[in-house]
Amino acid sequence: MSFFTKKISRRAIMQALIVLPTLSLFRGLPETTSSNADPDAIVEINGWILKRSDLV
Amino acid sequence: MIFDSYEAFRATNFTPKVCILGSGPAGTTIARKLGAAGIPVVVLEAGSREFSDDSQDFYRGSTVGDPYFDLDITRLRFLGGSSNHWAGWCRVLDKQDFEPKAWAPDTGWPISRADIEPYLPEVHDILELPDFRPDVSISDDIRWVQLIKSPAVRFGEKYADELDKSKNIAVVLNTYAAELAGDGRRVTGAKLWSSGQDVGSFTADYFIVCTGGLENSRLLLWSNQRSNGGVVPNAAALGRYWMEHPTFEGGNAILADYSEFEVDATNEAFFSPTLAAMERLKIMNFGIRLIETPYAGIKSLVADLACTAPDMAEWVAYQLSQNLRCAAQLYVAWEQAPQASNRIKLSKTDVDHAGVPRIELHWKKSEMEHRTLLEGLRLFGTTLVEKNLGRVRIADWIVNGGDYPTNEELAGHHHMGGTRMGTDVTRSVVDANSKVHGMDNLYVGGSSVFCTSGECNPTATITALACRLGDHLSKLITV
Ligand SMILES: Cc1cc2nc3c(=O)[nH]c(=O)nc-3n(C[C@H](O)[C@H](O)[C@H](O)COP(=O)(O)OP(=O)(O)OC[C@H]3O[C@@H](n4cnc5c(N)ncnc54)[C@H](O)[C@@H]3O)c2cc1C
Repeated sequence: MSFFTKKISRRAIMQALIVLPTLSLFRGLPETTSSNADPDAIVEINGWILKRSDLV
Repeated sequence: MIFDSYEAFRATNFTPKVCILGSGPAGTTIARKLGAAGIPVVVLEAGSREFSDDSQDFYRGSTVGDPYFDLDITRLRFLGGSSNHWAGWCRVLDKQDFEPKAWAPDTGWPISRADIEPYLPEVHDILELPDFRPDVSISDDIRWVQLIKSPAVRFGEKYADELDKSKNIAVVLNTYAAELAGDGRRVTGAKLWSSGQDVGSFTADYFIVCTGGLENSRLLLWSNQRSNGGVVPNAAALGRYWMEHPTFEGGNAILADYSEFEVDATNEAFFSPTLAAMERLKIMNFGIRLIETPYAGIKSLVADLACTAPDMAEWVAYQLSQNLRCAAQLYVAWEQAPQASNRIKLSKTDVDHAGVPRIELHWKKSEMEHRTLLEGLRLFGTTLVEKNLGRVRIADWIVNGGDYPTNEELAGHHHMGGTRMGTDVTRSVVDANSKVHGMDNLYVGGSSVFCTSGECNPTATITALACRLGDHLSKLITV
């Protein structure tokens, strides 16, 4: 058993995995809420070439 | 004069100085130039006046590597050649296409665009083209370029009457040049095949091979093999550096105002990169063709956008409800980096009715090509965002590095390279005047002499080069 699974319960891992896709990082979405993100910056998501402000 | 058989031609006492093989756009244009200069010329044409399965069968061959069209489908073997079914899209290679590119080996021509520009008025006349408008710069990276659809001039139809009445030009149909003989300095004769049999050898002071972008290499490879190097003494590059314009649907665009780029009756607009963008990204030239998307396609595109940028999707849906035409398909045709391994070889097992080995075409797209496709679409997408002109969605298989789809256009039926132009005899076959290196009387016409392909269809450039070669020979040959 790895260090990771010894320390964290199976149930906690499952819960984390369920939540993962909703995190922007795992959807390939850049952070849109951060106040210092440039709204005009060009982002590529799911094949779309967009302006960051398109994502709001 | 047009003769339906070699026998009929032999019965005359017409003695040509120049023998042209093939009556497609290249052969016909050179013949007309020479004829107009008072030089007697014969055009030997393997096919007849009309399409026939029997003639077409000589064009069968095989392909190794990426999927490609059947070789007897991608060209036509009768009077006028493949101009009998070309689509008529025209543009001449750009200035930048002739220049060497440090990031792509074996690029660069020994001539520049300025060398063919004097012939462009003639090209416009021959292909019945209006004037091109200058490119429009959309950004530092992208040019809005123009391709003009000519009425797809059928050279056989357009010039049959003129050729028939000409005193200086004899077109001999059903006469296949199966082989050239040479002594390493000169071509000494062409071995001919007509009406199903060997009809002996024909000789002239000059020979010009204009049998098409696949067949030029085949004829020269076979002739060279039979004459132990007597036809192409420097044959290292013969058959090599063959190129096409791979063509695939690259994605879609949503446009703020479709009419922004509407250029002609076909509702298509074309975009290409600037040299600076190609250099920065280390990619080849490309042409993005923007075509209005049918309504059903727009709906699924908007649904897809809604998952990523809901507000944007809402805006598009609103535009649609106002009946605005605001979405487009993006087709990309691009330039292949020249590669010696993309080549025409002679089959070891398969021959045509005259005993000439058929073509084995080795053709594969490289990593550079995938990069050109992906980065090209990114450049275009970025430009649309920056200029607030619209948004682009790149097809999944391109973003994910998947296989090329097999159910699309594949390529343009543009057969380029194989007898490329150059100064280095190990990397080229003809010199800047289209003369075979080391030979005094052998020339090549057509897109097999292209060193690079640019992004545009080849026939306007083929015709310009043919006018140039015709002019060159008219000055060289004394009657
Ligand atoms: C479906 C299709 C669509 C196209 N659309 C476009 C387009 O929109 N724009 C564009 O620029 N280009 C287009 N092209 C390409 C265009 O047709 C070619 O670039 C052009 O025809 C090449 O001219 P050519 O004279 O070099 O060769 P060809 O047209 O191939 O002519 C060669 C001639 O040589 C004859 N021949 C062959 N072997 C021998 C031999 N050994 N002895 C004697 N005669 C021989 C043949 O019968 C033929 O008449 C298209 C091609 C196809 C197939």
